[in-house]
Amino acid sequence: MTKDMNNTDIQIAICGSAGDGTIASGDIMKRAAALMGYNVIAFDLYPPEIRGFGKCISRIRISSEQTYSLKRESDIFISLNDNHAIPHVGEVRDYGAVVFEDSLIARVPEGRHISAHIKPAQVPYAFSIRQISEQATNSARSRNIVVLGFIAGLYDMPARVFHRVIAAKFATKPQIVIDDNTKAFDAGMRAGGAVFKLDDVAVGKPRDYSNGSDAVMMTGNEAIVRGFLEAGIGSYFGYPITPATSIMERLAVEIPRRGGQFLQTEDEIAAIAATIGAAYAGSRAATATSGPGLALMSEMLGLGVMAEVPLVVVVSQRGGPSTGLPTKTEQSDLNLAVYGGSGDARRIVLAPTNVEGCYRCAGMAFEIAETYQTPVILLIDLYLSNRYETVIPSEENTFAPKPRLRPEIAKGDIYKRFELTYNHISPRALPGEEGLMHTITGLEHNEQGRPNDAIHSVMSIKRHEKLNSATRFPGLTVCKRFGDEGPVDVGILGWGSTFGEILETMFEAQAEGIRCSAMKVVMLSPLPMDEIVAFFDDCREILVPELNYEGQFANLISGAVGRPVTRLSHVTGSPMVIAEILAEVRRLAGSATPKQKALGS
Amino acid sequence: MTAPLHHVIIGSGSAGYGAAMTLRGEDADCMITMVTIDALPFYNRYDLPGVFRGHHDWRKLLAVPPARYDELGIKLRRSSRVVDVDGERQTISLAHQEDVAYDRLLVCAGGRSYLAENLIDSVGLMHGFGSFEAAMRVYRALPKGGTAIIIGGDMIGIDLALTLLDTGYRVVLIANQQTFWPHVVEPVERKRLLKALENKGMTIFADERPVGVLDTRNKKFSRAVALESGTEITGDVVMSFCGLSSSVEFMLGAGVDIERGILVNPELRTTNETIWAAGDICQIWHDKEKIYKFYHGWKNVRVMGELAARNMSGSHEIFDVEVEDRLDIDDDGNLRSTFWTR
Amino acid sequence: MNRPLKPVYLEEKLEEIRSDGHQDYRSKSLPTWCPGCGYFSVAEGFTFALNRLGIDYKDVVVVSGIGCASRFPFFVSTYGFHTLHGRTLPVATGIKLANDALTVVAVGGDGDAFAIGGGHIPHAARRNINLTYIVFDNGIYGLTKGQTSPTSALGFRTSTTPYENGDEPLHPLMMLLSYRASWVGQAYAGRPHHLADMIATAMNHRGFSYLHVLSPCVTFDKTDRTYANLGMQVRDLPDDHDSGNLMGAMAEASHDDAPALGVFYKEDRPTLDEVMDATNKRSTAG
Repeated sequence: MTKDMNNTDIQIAICGSAGDGTIASGDIMKRAAALMGYNVIAFDLYPPEIRGFGKCISRIRISSEQTYSLKRESDIFISLNDNHAIPHVGEVRDYGAVVFEDSLIARVPEGRHISAHIKPAQVPYAFSIRQISEQATNSARSRNIVVLGFIAGLYDMPARVFHRVIAAKFATKPQIVIDDNTKAFDAGMRAGGAVFKLDDVAVGKPRDYSNGSDAVMMTGNEAIVRGFLEAGIGSYFGYPITPATSIMERLAVEIPRRGGQFLQTEDEIAAIAATIGAAYAGSRAATATSGPGLALMSEMLGLGVMAEVPLVVVVSQRGGPSTGLPTKTEQSDLNLAVYGGSGDARRIVLAPTNVEGCYRCAGMAFEIAETYQTPVILLIDLYLSNRYETVIPSEENTFAPKPRLRPEIAKGDIYKRFELTYNHISPRALPGEEGLMHTITGLEHNEQGRPNDAIHSVMSIKRHEKLNSATRFPGLTVCKRFGDEGPVDVGILGWGSTFGEILETMFEAQAEGIRCSAMKVVMLSPLPMDEIVAFFDDCREILVPELNYEGQFANLISGAVGRPVTRLSHVTGSPMVIAEILAEVRRLAGSATPKQKALGS
Repeated sequence: MTAPLHHVIIGSGSAGYGAAMTLRGEDADCMITMVTIDALPFYNRYDLPGVFRGHHDWRKLLAVPPARYDELGIKLRRSSRVVDVDGERQTISLAHQEDVAYDRLLVCAGGRSYLAENLIDSVGLMHGFGSFEAAMRVYRALPKGGTAIIIGGDMIGIDLALTLLDTGYRVVLIANQQTFWPHVVEPVERKRLLKALENKGMTIFADERPVGVLDTRNKKFSRAVALESGTEITGDVVMSFCGLSSSVEFMLGAGVDIERGILVNPELRTTNETIWAAGDICQIWHDKEKIYKFYHGWKNVRVMGELAARNMSGSHEIFDVEVEDRLDIDDDGNLRSTFWTR
Repeated sequence: MNRPLKPVYLEEKLEEIRSDGHQDYRSKSLPTWCPGCGYFSVAEGFTFALNRLGIDYKDVVVVSGIGCASRFPFFVSTYGFHTLHGRTLPVATGIKLANDALTVVAVGGDGDAFAIGGGHIPHAARRNINLTYIVFDNGIYGLTKGQTSPTSALGFRTSTTPYENGDEPLHPLMMLLSYRASWVGQAYAGRPHHLADMIATAMNHRGFSYLHVLSPCVTFDKTDRTYANLGMQVRDLPDDHDSGNLMGAMAEASHDDAPALGVFYKEDRPTLDEVMDATNKRSTAG
């Protein structure tokens, strides 16, 4: 796939402090871009503090074609606060634009104005953001909107789209708020329109949608909520934790409207316990948490495995261990998600790689859980939870519950909740059903559910083998290969949010003439071994980039396949860096003989 | 060990660029900061008529690739306007509320295009040509084969006018005292030169005084220049090229002597020990004539910048360039100027 | 130390039990409790209560944690969920919310409730989830063979307090009252008829009902909470006890040496599912 240079593919970064309205500004920008019909990928960086002056960056990639991650460099950079922006101005590419304030209200120490840091090849656009805001609205608080107008004016974007987004964003506020922001936007747009454009950033036409209005922009967390709702979620129990909280907050609004049960519990243990209880009683029940919460939930997850209760747990990873980096991203809970808890507790783990994947996996998770009567973990991370992408949802709801497998027993027979069957799946009765009373337990148990140690080996087989067919679950993408077919020099194997950067890297490597493929693995447990082994067979070198120190996915795959891989770990709290993967791909492609690396090295 | 000196240069034209490069050559360790109102790194303003020959990519106008500044350790602070210089505290104040301290300061902010007083009210209807951006605006405002009206016609304007004629545009020249500035031209010679331009295809009003510019956007032409005689000249773009006046306002509090420009001794040092000046902004003491003289033209300006830089680094060189003032336009319209010809 | 004996039931005794209709609530598994364990009384009282209230046992879910008491679901023939140590109440909450037609009874021992599970009780109580929580309090960890519990008396010797327990025992009734449980009562395994009455009354309460059952551990406690000692200590609540008076209930509950039996406190307030219904209505209004 080659990229047409006439198409639009720009990245805008807005950097300011928490009080500057940076994120709101980015939000309007990305919504306007989506409304214009562009493909949007966006990711915001927040400070850990709620209030105050912490750094915020909103990055928005606007493209006329499908893209998979943020770009390595931004094309346009807006500083609403030079102190925060100065360390990031280097991310702007040569001949890209740097927009900044030239009428500060207070003196800054020497060297603390961004003009001292803009690289000679970058194009500075200094203008009086504050004064324009004050003239337009009698307040400096609209600076974040003025700069949007400036960008729209400079790059000739349609004002009416921004007006619409501003009106929608402040719809619940008094009319004067909408009016002021519109005025601020228009004033900024006049300023931007009057400036001579010196950068070489080209904003072309959006992709030609035949039904453009159907594209919706949402975050990974919003996509999960949408998938859950379409799948008929009945109960949600949760405890707030960054970065999963927005799932809970959205469901707090939506579940009551559908007559379901929503409860904020006293802790994560109670959250998953109640989820198990509701799932046991027949509800489509889910909870969402992050790594620390999953650690607390692990014992209950084991109960779900042992007692064969279908439930869905969303895990959005952040930096760890312990409280770690609550507002930074990381992929370091793979081990916990796949293995966490006591005993042999195989469960299903799905790790979508993009927002659309979040929607599809969430939509199918309940059905998968019900089919296999076991916990299903949706494993994402902060980067995917919070990043925006345009998604085209299914036209019809394909996630509605299918008829449940029901037990049929002759009158007088004893119902065996854990009956041994050809596919190891036992028809499940719900409390309240006549003649099927039984007790389930976290103790090892016989077919009837009575405590029994002697049957442990038989039941271990049942609990493990029943999941084998999950990798062929109808309609579910468990893994997918991209790029060159057949034998290649380098295969990049990835999972989760990182896969966008992997794909973008693969395209760049291919453009350099490297024979290269990439494979995403969405189902981390059980692993789709046939496809993974086939991929290993085709690749001279396997590179596994991921956002953790130990190479948890590399260990998982390498252990399962029994062959070495090259690890690339990135633990800065930020998303994977394309340049780092590309450097490693180049290195591996250049090596004539496969490296013999010890497992786990 | 003493800390490296911080040299601050105000202006990024020929003088400033020449000074920065020279300073780096003289002292590998000093800190060099160029402060400029411009958005672009240094390019030769005298190449700007090239926009009519398709040179629309400013990157190709640059004297050196942008990365060179980083390699040489020259900090470039663009889009930054200097509002004040404090010669005692040795700081300059930037409009965006930042002070920059210097050990040695070189002022070469150049001059701005002079505009006759009676045209000041019309400034919004006229185009400038002092920067790449301004030149590109002129290019965009001129339709193919359109008409540019040039008031005055200093050497920058004449150079542009000749390029316009060469590239298929029409030029109307309203000549005045500043025509051929900075050359000093005798009346007979002036007549001959104007005739040469007329032969080249230029329409010339030699004895008319413009009184205003009119917006005639709804008509065939978007602009008209009203002359004292009552005549109206129509065109697409109106530009004034009446020489340069020094931009010295920000120096008023610096504690240096200023007349029309910043006064410097032949070593280009001002009355403040740590401040030098070079280029179109300064008047240099001429020992024989006992006056302070301007020396315009890009060659002089470049020489001044480099000389000032050497003197800032400890030399005591004298600016004693005696420039021959000679201008000719041949029958083919080729320009030969001791100040301008490249 | 005595090991817990395998339960021995005589065939004829079983026949007698089975011929009586209410024993249908009993499962075919025989309790694994030690002979003489106070918990038999609770099981008996529970089956009595279900009979009396006429609840179809397909509509009953007994939820428990881990411990001797938590084995309870295996010994009744309703639906049952034997969960994790300390997690009885949140699981029961999920079940009840997902299907409020079910009668949910949570059971557990003192360790399950007040040690590992202590964090969940206040929230179940304040939310007034409509279920009954029966805690069998024998002041010891029996299933793991005799360690101290949060309700073990000061000076009590166990395998983990070989030099006497020095930790002040906590006070379940006062805790539950201050947690705003909407029904708080206490019974004694040595008075099975009263116990059965109390279970029925608790289950009949609309809201969160907490029944504390004092019970001896005949195997691991030969000195402290014996039938002999408890029998002398317990008393009935005064005839004039006002179960609508929270402070009065607190005062009665504070008599450590003379535990009172009966309904300490009850109050009528919206249950969690009612609150949730109201929320759901509000979410669609306007």
